[in-house]
Amino acid sequence: MLQIKDLKVAFGQAEVLRGIDLNLDAGDSLSVVGESGAGKTTLGLCIMGLVTGKVSGEVRFKGKDLLKTSEEDLRRMRGREIAMVFQNVEDALDPVQRIQDQIAEAIHIHNNVTATEVELRAKRLLLSVGLNGDKARAYPHQLSGGERQRVLISMALANDPDVLILDEPTASLDALTKADILKLFRSAIAGRISLVITHDLSLAAGLTEQMAVLYAGRVVELGRTDELLSDPRHPYTRGLIRSYPGMTMTKDLQGIPGRMDHGLGGCPFHGRCTQRIEICSIKMPPLRKIKGRLIACHRGGIVPLLEIRHLHKSFDSCFALCDINLTLYEGETTALVGESGSGKSTLSKVIMGLYDQDQGEIILEGQEVSKRDAAFYSRVQMIFQNPKESVSHRMNVLDAVLEPLNVQKKGDREERLVRAKEVLDCVELPFSDDFLERYPHQLSGGEVQRVAIARALALGPKLLIADEPTSALDPSVQAKILKLLMDLQEKMGLAMLFVTHDIALARKVSDRIAVMLKGQIVEMGATNEVLSHPEHSYTRRLVECAKSYQRNSKEINQRPDRDSNPG
Amino acid sequence: MHIRPFRDLINDRIALSGLSMLALISFMAIFAPALSDYSPYDYTGQIFSPPSANHPLGTDSMGQDIWSRLLYGARTSLFVAFAVAILSSALSLFIGATSALLGGIYERFWMRVVDAMISIPTIIVMILVAAYLRPSIFLLIILMSLFSWPGGARIVRSQVLSLKEKMHVSAARTFGADWKHILINHITPDLAPIIIAMMIQDARRAVFMEAGLAFLGVSDPMMISWGKMMQQALAFTYLNVWEWWLVPTGLALSLTLVGLSFLGFGLEAAMDPRLQKYKQQRAD
Repeated sequence: MLQIKDLKVAFGQAEVLRGIDLNLDAGDSLSVVGESGAGKTTLGLCIMGLVTGKVSGEVRFKGKDLLKTSEEDLRRMRGREIAMVFQNVEDALDPVQRIQDQIAEAIHIHNNVTATEVELRAKRLLLSVGLNGDKARAYPHQLSGGERQRVLISMALANDPDVLILDEPTASLDALTKADILKLFRSAIAGRISLVITHDLSLAAGLTEQMAVLYAGRVVELGRTDELLSDPRHPYTRGLIRSYPGMTMTKDLQGIPGRMDHGLGGCPFHGRCTQRIEICSIKMPPLRKIKGRLIACHRGGIVPLLEIRHLHKSFDSCFALCDINLTLYEGETTALVGESGSGKSTLSKVIMGLYDQDQGEIILEGQEVSKRDAAFYSRVQMIFQNPKESVSHRMNVLDAVLEPLNVQKKGDREERLVRAKEVLDCVELPFSDDFLERYPHQLSGGEVQRVAIARALALGPKLLIADEPTSALDPSVQAKILKLLMDLQEKMGLAMLFVTHDIALARKVSDRIAVMLKGQIVEMGATNEVLSHPEHSYTRRLVECAKSYQRNSKEINQRPDRDSNPG
Repeated sequence: MHIRPFRDLINDRIALSGLSMLALISFMAIFAPALSDYSPYDYTGQIFSPPSANHPLGTDSMGQDIWSRLLYGARTSLFVAFAVAILSSALSLFIGATSALLGGIYERFWMRVVDAMISIPTIIVMILVAAYLRPSIFLLIILMSLFSWPGGARIVRSQVLSLKEKMHVSAARTFGADWKHILINHITPDLAPIIIAMMIQDARRAVFMEAGLAFLGVSDPMMISWGKMMQQALAFTYLNVWEWWLVPTGLALSLTLVGLSFLGFGLEAAMDPRLQKYKQQRAD
């Protein structure tokens, strides 16, 4: 019923929308999400015919192109067929009119009925959104934010429109009011075409069936809301979800590097994308169906960096790894948890080629790894458990950071030096001559681990295997190192295999979790789901054993009481 | 703060004294012809002459100038020390390192050889062999090297075994490093203090053994050696020639041995950055 084809909007030189295609039928609900400035509101205003910029393309409603419709006709349609709830609750109401009168006005414009009839309908409408007679006669400033929002909804619904556009409808409401309003919205949008413009993912999830992710005037991903949120496939969508503080999110918040630039050639997101390739800055990717989801990405969405299939490894007669299947995606952290001896470290060493595999395939960026050459090691790097041992005690900071570059013979001496300082800066270490000449034993554990991370980064890897990278550090240093790793992931799109036995730690840093027991992966999935609903008994035990320190300290504190009251 | 082994060596009092002792002996050995007018073999026309302007340490029972014999004796001692140190530790390094890296039956073979050799009392076998062969200086060097490498080889092997499992070696491998890089950059530097210690120990033992064999009279009689000088001097202890014959020779020998020991001690500290920390703390 509502068709948008190649919709483009420009304000002067700035292109705000760059070719939007959407198709909505009666009863469809679509949320449009994205950062501020992505063009969400402009899209809504376009449908209302309220955009003043240069508009091209088509917005067809019931067969009529709204962009070519005269202002006269549009005015007749607005409110009656297409209504919008505006973003700013404070400004949308006239402060000197009673709200009942304001709603009556909306009815009066489109309906040729008597004043008493209009008043009656307005009252009924307000009652339906939960505002009784007293409130109906109030002025806007006498109402709370939630009540004003209700007024706006009732105003939009006054003429029973076919299309309802909600622009950030709950932005300024508290959680309880939001929940009430959400209920109201749900009944309001039933049977209509609804477009929910928001950056609030929980609102989008609660209201809509479908979701479109808008970036710099382009739809980058479109699909069912629940699928899109649980399994984002475009890097930008994942970035949005990662920066949204949901109650089910366990990983620390991560942002999206850089800022939105309009009018970039090629893929609009390529400047901030960590998996861009050459074509991304040249050609705009079309929105196409990839594995059941509409994605606009030259690389087909988030790429799997490393795939491990049917990997086996045994030492003499002892099985260390048995049929391991694991996929690591670009920019994601997979935690490998399990007790010691479960084969976590063995797996990471087999991937790195420190042990040979017996059977199975390791596929890096679509190509099977047959021998581990310089090209492999420049894409996959490892951080070891004990930083002071992984950096030779006979190398000073500079030698240590230069080592990978020397081994791979990257550039000349000058270039290597520049690169070394660059990566030291990356890990927030100084690169003064004094510091460069220090030896590992002259640094703190945290500093040496940073040096080790800098070494691993020097070759510009896409995959980082971190084998208990913080177990030798105290909690405050650990926190800093983890923060650093997550920042680097955000900046460079590092995929990480995070090997740890600390499930509480894994919970904070990983997107996915794989639980290992006796050389097998017994459970794998999104971290929050696995940890809140562990299916395998071993996972359940791990989670129980990893409960917080609060309970333990309580138990200890209670003991004296019990002892003092015998019997 | 770089490691500067030589500057550290000079700052270390023990190493410095060891170094100066060796320097003194080396100086004597190198400039022997310039320091003495007489050939050590020539008869000067006088026996048991006490020290004089012509003969700083007098002459011995055969009328030879003791000072020039002492100088040329230093040449023998140092040459033997140097040659045995190089040869023996090269053998140790080669056999020890290859055993550790290659493993398998090769390793087992050499380690059993080492076990067998170590169980043989070296001195006694050396005396027996020397008594039959009357070895020249070169043969002596080869013999001593053949008997002294096994201990070192065992140490090198165990070190390489543990070094190649070190995490920084794994880390280097994850940069794509080949064995050459690892051997040069990771294993050898860590092996260096041990090799140095080994060489110095070999040298010390060689000096001592050469002197001992000469003292027992089982080495080449034509060789000028401090050991033989002491043996000859001992026959005349009833005269007071020992004052300028036996004592200076013994002192020279002791100086060489102590110098080598001190140098070894100092070098070990200078080459290991971890020992430097303790040294600094001690200095503070």
